[in-house]
Amino acid sequence: MKPDTDFIITGEQVSKGALSCRGCGWSLLARYVSNVMGPETVYVVPACCFSIIAGPSPMNLMNGTVVHTLFAAAAATATGVRHALDRQGKQETNVVVLAGDGGTFDIGLQALSGAASREENILFICNNNGAYMNTGVQSSAGTPSGVRTTTDPSGKATPAKNVMEIIEAHNIPYFATASPAFLRDLQRKLEKAKEARGFRFLMVDGPCPPGHKHEPAISIELARIAVETRFFPLFESANGGIEINYFPQKNLPVDDYLKRQGRFAHLYSDGSESRAPASGQDSGAHANGNQTRETSGKNQEMLNAIQMQVDQQWEKLMGKQTVSKV
Amino acid sequence: MSQLEAIEKQRKTGPGPASRHVKKVLKGNAAAALAARLCRVSFVTAYPITPQTSIIEEINAMIARKEFDATCVNMESEHSVFAALKGASLVGERVFTATSGQGLLYAHEVLHAIAHMRLPIVACNVGRPSYPWNIWADQTDSISQRDTGWIQFYCESAQEVLDTIIQSYKIAESSNMPVMVVLDAFYLSHTSENVYVPEQQLVDDFCPHERRTSDRVDPKDPKSFGGLVDPSKYDTYNRAHWEEMCRIEEQTDAVGREFEQFFGRNYGAVEAVNIGPQTKTVLVTMSSITTTARQVIADHEDTGLLKIRLFKPFPKDSVRKALDRTAKDCNVVAVDRNYTADREGALLQQLRQTMCKTDRKLFGVYAGLGGRDVSPQTIRNILDIDYSSPDTEEINWIQ
Ligand code: SF4
Repeated sequence: MKPDTDFIITGEQVSKGALSCRGCGWSLLARYVSNVMGPETVYVVPACCFSIIAGPSPMNLMNGTVVHTLFAAAAATATGVRHALDRQGKQETNVVVLAGDGGTFDIGLQALSGAASREENILFICNNNGAYMNTGVQSSAGTPSGVRTTTDPSGKATPAKNVMEIIEAHNIPYFATASPAFLRDLQRKLEKAKEARGFRFLMVDGPCPPGHKHEPAISIELARIAVETRFFPLFESANGGIEINYFPQKNLPVDDYLKRQGRFAHLYSDGSESRAPASGQDSGAHANGNQTRETSGKNQEMLNAIQMQVDQQWEKLMGKQTVSKV
Repeated sequence: MSQLEAIEKQRKTGPGPASRHVKKVLKGNAAAALAARLCRVSFVTAYPITPQTSIIEEINAMIARKEFDATCVNMESEHSVFAALKGASLVGERVFTATSGQGLLYAHEVLHAIAHMRLPIVACNVGRPSYPWNIWADQTDSISQRDTGWIQFYCESAQEVLDTIIQSYKIAESSNMPVMVVLDAFYLSHTSENVYVPEQQLVDDFCPHERRTSDRVDPKDPKSFGGLVDPSKYDTYNRAHWEEMCRIEEQTDAVGREFEQFFGRNYGAVEAVNIGPQTKTVLVTMSSITTTARQVIADHEDTGLLKIRLFKPFPKDSVRKALDRTAKDCNVVAVDRNYTADREGALLQQLRQTMCKTDRKLFGVYAGLGGRDVSPQTIRNILDIDYSSPDTEEINWIQ
């Protein structure tokens, strides 16, 4: 499979004027998701950037129903919506959760696990931008190690929680990762997820210029590099087993992904500059790529650790492969 | 005449609402489960917590026996229990759950959302405290939710639990307000009593599922629910809620009167017993303590009883009307089975607010906290305090 960009929006379900930052993965994702799901869809949205992007009351970005709900309660609210629709004979209406990584990895995990283990007929989509971006870049359990956030000003010491393995343990009929840089793959996965019955889960890489600190214009390019460096591998599972959907041809170092984002910039400095990252989205995007400073020993250790985590994650995935496409 | 005596009399005097009941021996929790079924609730969520658990067990058992056409989902927490109800109610189903103590406290955030999204949800709370750890009768859990925007009823008997749930759906759906029906742990939840169970048709006729608004999720007509509200509009939501809250006391009385037409039992926001110019002391009570107080004051000609059934919104007009019948030097004593971490319990606080324009002498007693038995002797101890003495404390702890 080649990187592709030909996911043609055939029936636009999103209004103009989304309240996202420029280059935001969320608002692109909303267009792709809604194009596949169609108007007869109830989107359940916990607190996250999308609750702002979807529009303040009573506005509605989507040609579809949007139910805003509490941070911890996305999958639980969706459970109630699903059963009520079923009781009304509306089994064909899609119920789709659109949550951020905080509402998936952290505060939303209990409800997510509950709904998955009850096999609720829901599609849960996580836009993983790797931090609490809506509140101005605080660390979540989805924040990769090394990333500087306002609550980890020296860089996050621990790696991101492997939510896909937690999801896998629930034995659900369909789960996958996807990227806005691999659109045909995203489209196929959305269609598969829509068709499947039971609890379905999609984790989509979420470029976020103000949070990741890069120019909006390179959002998709960075999402592609995340996949090419195996930082964000593309895989799926339909009824057991894992299938890796994309095998990067070149063995690109993870550096290629990290060094182009301001959130990792301190790892490429000599440590003399200890500026904490500017907080909030108001500060705008911080292009900080192409660092040329020397890397201190401690930072090199962290960079090595990140490369090791990425390699280990890939090895693990390879080990789980049931269908090989090498 | 008590409600039970009234219904017995009707039963003997021939056809009327009473003849359309079956007499059963039920625990308070069983009465609650039965009421949910009689109201044709279609969606229930559950999470076990003592002493509520037998309500959701009974509901699940009735569904399994195909006596109850509802979907019950066993959730992973009370936060999720209420969040799922929120979702299902938004789609337009009549929903129910029951919880208790820590469970209700855990759901606190969702209670706010439900009330201010104006969802007509009815939930039972079997009252118990939080910490120190305790599972017995106490109102601290539900009193802690009094500012969430829910209507709250406190029940005296299993019969009242059943009847109040039926009335609550009517009140909830005509006002777009959620209602919490509170019963005492064990003294009500696990105590068997005679309960007159109405026939299904009577309940169907009294409270068909009718929402005041059609504003609900309709996949064919996409809308957004619960989005961000900016400062220029926020207070209009509060004001609309407030205006409705201001009508609830009257509506409780009206629904109570209508209920009597159908079922032969009358209910109001408050019940005043033996309150008049001769009354020297009025005990103000909620829940099952009321029954004990009824027995004791029967031998005290100069003692009245004011039962608060509707606690939130506090029925100020009814309370004033009842207390205005007494002489100026009549002492009013609130019995609080809740500790609010303040000088006085919730009932006394509300009474102070209600009577602030009078120089009425108000006293409070803390009694029955954490399930301590409030026996007839406890009530006599409360009455033995010399409220006319200038040395008597305003707040007294009774054991
Ligand atoms: S902060 Fe990031 S995720 Fe949120 S709207 Fe902006 S770009 Fe999108």
